[in-house]
Amino acid sequence: MSIPAGFDELIHPATRLSVVALLAATEWADFAFVRDSLSLSDSALSKQLHTLEEAGYLELHKEGGGRKRRTRVRLTDRGRDAFEGHVAALRAIVEGAGAGAAAETPPRQRQDSGAGR
Amino acid sequence: MDAEQAWRDLQRVRVPQERVYDEVERSATGGSGSLWATAALMWLFLAGLGLDLPGWAVGPVMAAYVALLGALAVLDHRRSRVRLHRTRYTRRMFATFVAGAVVTGGTALLSGRLVDSLEPMPAGLIQATVSATVFVLFVGPTSRWAAGSARSRGTRVAATEASGATGANGAGAGR
Repeated sequence: MSIPAGFDELIHPATRLSVVALLAATEWADFAFVRDSLSLSDSALSKQLHTLEEAGYLELHKEGGGRKRRTRVRLTDRGRDAFEGHVAALRAIVEGAGAGAAAETPPRQRQDSGAGR
Repeated sequence: MDAEQAWRDLQRVRVPQERVYDEVERSATGGSGSLWATAALMWLFLAGLGLDLPGWAVGPVMAAYVALLGALAVLDHRRSRVRLHRTRYTRRMFATFVAGAVVTGGTALLSGRLVDSLEPMPAGLIQATVSATVFVLFVGPTSRWAAGSARSRGTRVAATEASGATGANGAGAGR
């Protein structure tokens, strides 16, 4: 099967997909919130965030100082577009496979599977 | 990338977004105490106005009230761990915000008129208490109800997308 347009190799790995999916629902999120929500370690999350930041998909803002220092993560417009394109590509893959399967399925069987939905 | 893997990835997208809605709902239930702090400030402001202040004092009291509300908003912003993206807000959330302002403001005005015949001190206390109580009773539950609509909408959109994909997939429907 050919890969549809919009499929993003950078977002594709599971952890990065989860990070971007979480950020897509937010204006910004605290580093700690992302870390806790995805059950990642500080270092694992930092690594993923820096990869995405280098690609221009997100921005990191450091606020405060000392013990109250916190980092806020924000998805850029570019990152949001990439995520939406990636999700659309995933949907196209699933739908494409479905259309192929439906074409190969006899009409009687297609009716049966539709009734169960 | 096969359809099975693509399907799993689509499911994976939903889980972290649920955590965002959890946090938004937690904040709306008064997790940070901002609802109570706002009600307390309102009570102080209305009770203060009820002391029959001289004309020149009304302006500074109002300015102090607005400044304290602003400080509270800043504090709340600093405390919050996440902010919902603007595209995820629902009409119900906007409507609830407007309704909260109308109901609370209306109560303050109406109760002020009703207790107009009483002495300034008890009248101010009654007006402040009634208004702050209505604010807490109305804004608390409706905020929770409104915050829940963001999740409902997100789930509905995801379900529509998923059913569209499974509708075409057939085999995917059983997953």
